[in-house]
Amino acid sequence: MSTLGPLLRLRRDRLQVPVWIASFGALAFFSGVAVAGNFGALAEREALVRIAVLTPTILMFRGAPQGAAVDALVFFLTFATIALMAAFMSAFLAVRHSRAEEASGRAELVGATPAGRLIPLVATMVHGVGTALAAGAAVALGLLAAGFEAAGSTLFGLAVAGTSVVFLGVGLVCAQIMRTSRGANGLASALIGVAYVLRAAGDAGGAPSADGLRITSAWPSRLSPIGWGQQTQAYTTNNPTPLLLDLAFAALLLGVALVLQAVRDLDSSLIAERPGREHARRTLRGSFGLAWRLQYPAILGWSIAGLFLGVVAGTLGETVVDLVRGNAAFEGILAGMAGGDRGSIIDVFTAALFGLIGILAAAAAMQAMIRMRQEEADGSAELLLSAPLNRVRWLLDYILLGGLALTLVLATAVVGAVLGLAQTTAAQAGDRIRSVAESGLAQVPAALLILLAGALFFAYLPRASIGIGWALLLVAVLIGQFGDLLDLPDWLQALSPFSHTPVVVGTGADWSEGWWMVGIALCLGAAAVIGVRRRDLAL
Amino acid sequence: MGESVPGAVGRSLGSMSAVIETRDLQKRFGRVRALDGLDLSVPAGEVHGFLGPNGAGKSTTIRVLLGLYRASGGTATVFGGNPWTDAVALHRRIAYVPGDVSLWPNLSGGEAIDLLGRLRGADPAANRDRRRHLLEVFELDPTKKGRAYSKGNRQKVAFVAALATAADLYILDEPTSGLDPLMEAVFRREIRAAVSDGATELLSSHILSEVEHLCDRVSIIRAGKTVETGTLADLRHLTGTEIAFASTGLTDADLAGWPSASRLPAIWSARTGRWPLPPTTTPCPRCCRCSRSCGCRA
Repeated sequence: MSTLGPLLRLRRDRLQVPVWIASFGALAFFSGVAVAGNFGALAEREALVRIAVLTPTILMFRGAPQGAAVDALVFFLTFATIALMAAFMSAFLAVRHSRAEEASGRAELVGATPAGRLIPLVATMVHGVGTALAAGAAVALGLLAAGFEAAGSTLFGLAVAGTSVVFLGVGLVCAQIMRTSRGANGLASALIGVAYVLRAAGDAGGAPSADGLRITSAWPSRLSPIGWGQQTQAYTTNNPTPLLLDLAFAALLLGVALVLQAVRDLDSSLIAERPGREHARRTLRGSFGLAWRLQYPAILGWSIAGLFLGVVAGTLGETVVDLVRGNAAFEGILAGMAGGDRGSIIDVFTAALFGLIGILAAAAAMQAMIRMRQEEADGSAELLLSAPLNRVRWLLDYILLGGLALTLVLATAVVGAVLGLAQTTAAQAGDRIRSVAESGLAQVPAALLILLAGALFFAYLPRASIGIGWALLLVAVLIGQFGDLLDLPDWLQALSPFSHTPVVVGTGADWSEGWWMVGIALCLGAAAVIGVRRRDLAL
Repeated sequence: MGESVPGAVGRSLGSMSAVIETRDLQKRFGRVRALDGLDLSVPAGEVHGFLGPNGAGKSTTIRVLLGLYRASGGTATVFGGNPWTDAVALHRRIAYVPGDVSLWPNLSGGEAIDLLGRLRGADPAANRDRRRHLLEVFELDPTKKGRAYSKGNRQKVAFVAALATAADLYILDEPTSGLDPLMEAVFRREIRAAVSDGATELLSSHILSEVEHLCDRVSIIRAGKTVETGTLADLRHLTGTEIAFASTGLTDADLAGWPSASRLPAIWSARTGRWPLPPTTTPCPRCCRCSRSCGCRA
């Protein structure tokens, strides 16, 4: 065991983990402060909770409300999001320090030392559990700092840590199952998605209480590790027993990972790799064909998510309007969700959901740009660019791929919304379809701006561009989605492209800011082309 | 050696135009001078060895010649063109095998070969037989995924891709570093066949014997500078050579009849041993019983 210490030092993620943990603490603190500030009156909070209880989509994205107290409201509004982020943090950490190490060959080096086969995995577990506890502590401290009571804040933090540890185990088992770190990350992400969807379905299908302020989650929620954390009902019943489920499940997963690690060979996996094709398909020609081939599974995944959200936007819009018609207070709150514009409730609702779809589209586009940098960093770009391939053409092909990715995500979302509308007996179906299509189109400028900003970083700061790219997207999303809630200053909110997305309400959207974004995006693209023409290959 | 030198002289005299020409080539990465005055001249049709220790700047030079890096100073031309601005046109005539081949992890070797061939404008149907032949002699399974190949097999994928389509210039960066001796022989045979119809080749290596087997002329670089250029025979003075000598089976009378034996007193008494040549003499590689340049005056 004397090798554990040095290995733990190898597991440090100097920047990544502190950034994750700090953002959890900050999110908890600022949400607490903002909710307390914005919804000071009990009547306002009760109105908000009642509308949430009546709106399945809000329950899907937030959780199951437990009353209208400020702290309970903060738990309802933020827990699912923080737990989701913590789950991704832990799963990616697990894969990064297990399968990715193995695929890079570093695990072979370490495995040949007295550390052997299991100690490196144990070191990853210790590192992961420590990180999960630190994330929980950051959340608890953020809430305490916002002035909430100790027992509930501690339980909130422990619930985040519990979810985090479970998905550490999930990540480690996925790393045993899949042969590549990309595959392991993909499988772990899919399982996190399943956990989130189970909780969302359970909460949306839950039973409201008589006063309309509480939801008792349905059974699917109880199958989800994120749901378990939520069942602690921090600040209201303060029930720690669901965390035992987290503990037991995490212990099981870590045990399974250890057993698999003990019996399998280095570089092997439970799911063996299928052989590839002897000859390339006709479509694998040129750098665009290659880029598409490398990236289409991810684009397909983003598009399926877009389709799903589109269906939600199409079906639930009609339901919501039935629920809130005639209630001025509710209409006001819903209008607030879409950036303050008042308009028909359905339009506002649709715009809010298409805001999320726009984020998916921007993420899909950014990922295409990042794939280009990965090709360069991994060295395969050297083979490509020593062939008769113009590097500007190479960049434009990836920009085209990013554009295609965002278009496909938005198009499938619009198709989903139209399919959803067809399920309901919508009046003025033609108008509704037109409005949904314009909402989809309205997401293009922000996503395009994000894509071409990614291209700019690829051209001028290649080695940092992957980190900067994701950080840019994350900051833009946080500002765009939580800017209002967190009461951020206007100039800061104005920095996020998502704050300038045209909102389709009533007769149509104001596209002036959208056109500005398209113009800026094209300038960034031109600058990226100039940069790529001038710079060396950056291995 | 003995066979290749005359041919090389004839060929390099025959065509005066240089395929690769660099003068005082400089490449800086921040404050690091990777290339610091590199001169390299490779005439058409020559197999040119590019020798130097690890980190001497071989790969950097090659990347400048391919237009992947931009020179910080000096000049570099390939086929008379600028490798940075004319990259696409030049690459149509060049086949390149990197020193450390990285393939696309989820593309099979066969797909990578076809993709690179198509990028170079090759007609897959016309190259089908050539491709099959190369896969066979290199014993390469084209259905494996890129991530599943060993270093040597990744290199073979790049060889097959480079050799499946004819090129005017082959640039090979430490081509045999991942190959076993049998595959090294196959590689040598295939590369000889590829350049036999007049193609030029730049072969970088840190192993003298590899260059010795294949190259007409050699440039030796160190710390980003060219220190020597010439045929291997010209460069022999740089190496300390020893000739092993065994007198088993010879009588004293035989040895007495060999005038130069008087220069080997130690061997004379031990009847076996080693003879270090003074560094300024050029040895005859086969024997020392000749009257030419090896200094033994037999």
